Amino acid sequence: MKKIIATFWNECRLFIRDITGMVLLFLMPLGLTIIMALIQDAPFREYQHIRFEILWLDADKGQLAENLREGLEETGQFRLIDSLDGRPLDTVAVKAAIQGGRYKIGIIVPRSISAEVVNSANQVANELGKSLGAAGKLPERPTRQATVEIYFDPVTKQAMKSALLNALDKQLTKVQAEMILGRLSRKMEDLDSTGVSQFNLEEKLQAVRLREFAAGSRKGPQLSSNSVQHNVPAWAIFGLFFIIVPISGNMIREREEGSLMRIRMVPGSYLSILAGKLLFYVLLGTAQFYMMLVAGLLILPHLGLPALVMGQAPAALLVTALAIAITATAYGLLVGAVFQTPNQALPFGAISIVILSAIGGIWVPVEILPPGLQQLAKASPMYWALDAINDLFLRHGNLKTVATHMGILSIFSACFLFIAGWIENYRKK
Amino acid sequence: MLRISNLHKTYLKAVEPTLRGLSLEFPRPTIAGLLGPNGAGKTTTISILCGLVRPDSGTVEVLGADIRTDLERIKKRIGVVPQSIALYPPLSVRENLEYIGALYKIPGTILQQRIRHFLQLFGLDHTGSKAIRYFSGGMKRRANIIASLLHEPELLVLDEPTAGVDVQSRNLILQFLEDYHGQGHSIIYTSHLLEEAQQLCREVAIMDHGQLVVQGDPRLLMKDHGFSSLEQVFLHLTGISLRD
Ligand SMILES: Nc1ncnc2c1ncn2[C@@H]1O[C@H](COP(=O)(O)OP(=O)(O)OP(=O)(O)O)[C@@H](O)[C@H]1O
Ligand SMILES: [Mg+2]
Repeated sequence: MKKIIATFWNECRLFIRDITGMVLLFLMPLGLTIIMALIQDAPFREYQHIRFEILWLDADKGQLAENLREGLEETGQFRLIDSLDGRPLDTVAVKAAIQGGRYKIGIIVPRSISAEVVNSANQVANELGKSLGAAGKLPERPTRQATVEIYFDPVTKQAMKSALLNALDKQLTKVQAEMILGRLSRKMEDLDSTGVSQFNLEEKLQAVRLREFAAGSRKGPQLSSNSVQHNVPAWAIFGLFFIIVPISGNMIREREEGSLMRIRMVPGSYLSILAGKLLFYVLLGTAQFYMMLVAGLLILPHLGLPALVMGQAPAALLVTALAIAITATAYGLLVGAVFQTPNQALPFGAISIVILSAIGGIWVPVEILPPGLQQLAKASPMYWALDAINDLFLRHGNLKTVATHMGILSIFSACFLFIAGWIENYRKK
Repeated sequence: MLRISNLHKTYLKAVEPTLRGLSLEFPRPTIAGLLGPNGAGKTTTISILCGLVRPDSGTVEVLGADIRTDLERIKKRIGVVPQSIALYPPLSVRENLEYIGALYKIPGTILQQRIRHFLQLFGLDHTGSKAIRYFSGGMKRRANIIASLLHEPELLVLDEPTAGVDVQSRNLILQFLEDYHGQGHSIIYTSHLLEEAQQLCREVAIMDHGQLVVQGDPRLLMKDHGFSSLEQVFLHLTGISLRD
């Protein structure tokens, strides 16, 4: 125990001596987290809050075009533009602007489309009215096909196209249904002897609606992932793993400078000295991790981002943070054991962390990766780390929820330490 | 005090064996010199007897205990001063010594007493919080020696303790070794400075190419070979060709 504590203090002293290194270890990941949360804010909001500009050419000037326009604007996702450079749009201008990549989406509503919808609504109303025995006939003529033309810039993402097509389709169906129902209602009024309609068809048809609910227990505020909820924990984990740079660097330096030789001549097991080092770096990593969460809580709201929501299980969060820090430290010890010089350890260490983070879902959420990569993600300790944090922050998890994650992180740590020990032993030869 | 017999060691990636059946013996507690040209295997021998390097074969007994079975006991009773400065460069000498003393589980007040005593003895009590990194070569060597003395070892093993130090530092170190021996402790030391060894050592072993060449009292060796200095004996026995 004395050796553990002495080693812990010695590491503290060494760390404090290197003020620049200390500041960098805390500030660089902090800067990274804030910047990533800021720049990934837009992509995360893409289909939620950002408005896309659509070139809107209305040759119809009728009821349907008006309804479509209202429908698109109501979604809050689109902003319709009907003039370019001070001139009203025409077909040529729309196509040219999309072709040139100046705008991503153009919609042309043809001249007679409202008339066409009215005509088909009349046809349906007449047909139904006849079978109900209503008198009179609304004007109708044979159907002529009319097409709303939509132009996409080729770079437009599929998800975006689908969102727009769905919105248009829904709106079109709605307008048609409303027209038919309106005409039918009027016919029913004609039937009713009192002349006062007691029956609102449209209202009846709205009895069934869609609404989004959460699957989890309703313990806290309902959250969905946003830039802050993803990026702060993700880059905090990434930054924590960067602790391997000072760890492996110090190990190699100890070996090169000879202080390791002196430590190895001390009677008793090297394990307690190793434990002291582990303890120091685990606490350091945990402190760094919490600092970044606090930044998400306090700094990001000042930069126009939502505040980080940290769930309701502080004990489970602490255990998780410690487990992540242990894994990162163990990995650092492994890198320090494998490589002979800082010039080998540094690039390998840094780039391997970037790779582990990329496959572990730090850069983009694992959910949007292809299935093969989703499986590969599980080979990265950072995947388990991030998933545990998501369980705690977004899914209202507790210690029991993240127990599997903790187990897997422990296995990673044990493997790293075992291999590091084996290599150190091999060096004695 | 030290008995080595038929010791073999080939490093993992080395082409040639470093120790080829080295056998030597310093039976009585004394100041002994382990001498030999560069690459003779002196540092390797010392690393083996303190457990840093594992021999391929052969037996080593230190203070009557076998390194294969009693390494922990040996570690407690010997102090090894490595050839390189084995200290933390960013820390002060006091901080280094406090840590090393704690690793040897020396109680706090005794440790502080010893640190104060040795810092004064080796003329380092004025260095304060200055990092070892900024010490002169002689100061580093002296600090390196103190770090191996804190647990008061019965046997002090020094690997070239006077390499690269000025005359004043060297005198201080040699005087200390005499005194330490005078207090009933044993010393084994390696050096290239044969004049120094000739003065200090009661017993020397000269090795070359990982084997013992000759061993005995330096004065008798000079007499036997008919030379007036140990250096002449050394050159006579090991030849004048370069070793590395
Ligand atoms: N870790 C190692 N791996 C491979 N070879 C080594 C290792 N350590 C030493 N050697 C080789 O073993 C030989 C003896 O080295 P050693 O350091 O024991 O000699 P020495 O007598 O102490 O020399 P010097 O006077 O230069 O300190 C040298 O040829 C050296 O290159
Ligand atoms: Mg040597």
